[in-house]
Amino acid sequence: MEFGGNMRNNVVSAVFNIFMSNDISCLRFNFRAVGRSTGSHSSGRGELSDAKACIDFLITNKQVEKIFICGYSYGAAIGCSTVSHTERIIGYASISFPWDFMGAKYKKLSQTDKPKLFIQGDRDDIANFNKFQDHFEFYNNPKAFKIIEGADHFYWGYDTQAADEVFKFYQSII
Amino acid sequence: MVEIESFFIDNEEIKLEAEFFQSSSDQTSAVLVCHPHPQIN
Repeated sequence: MEFGGNMRNNVVSAVFNIFMSNDISCLRFNFRAVGRSTGSHSSGRGELSDAKACIDFLITNKQVEKIFICGYSYGAAIGCSTVSHTERIIGYASISFPWDFMGAKYKKLSQTDKPKLFIQGDRDDIANFNKFQDHFEFYNNPKAFKIIEGADHFYWGYDTQAADEVFKFYQSII
Repeated sequence: MVEIESFFIDNEEIKLEAEFFQSSSDQTSAVLVCHPHPQIN
């Protein structure tokens, strides 16, 4: 098992695997400068472009008509911020959106009238649980949240539970 | 037998390492998963 912030992260893999096991197409990728991806880390701007390139790939190369975004931590800030990139994005699931780390830009970019789910661990002190409700209130309906009791930011032992919540939400909106 | 495609997605001059699972029953919908920060998680 690999550790760290890449496409084989435990939470990312749990989400990828639950969709795959339910025969739903799923794409995961490494942001620039991660794994075998080329380029240099750019603290968000370039990574936002990377996520949009993946969305465009799904539309152009795989002829996908409906795209659901799921992001975890930094990936939530980036991925959910692409929600208005195309009407083909039907909604998103955010796992531990690091609002206070990432600044107001990504909170604003992730605002949408599309369905969205926010998953949060009640022991998370990086995407701080104590501030979760305030951030959640910012978002337009339709929206939902799920608190994973006992989970900190890394979701060890809770990654499958988080992925299951993402899948159930996807099923509810598709 | 589950098959996962591995390839690179071009983003201008950058190549992004990617993996894709293609559904056998629904080719019109897909999920995109974005990973956490490489230096934190």
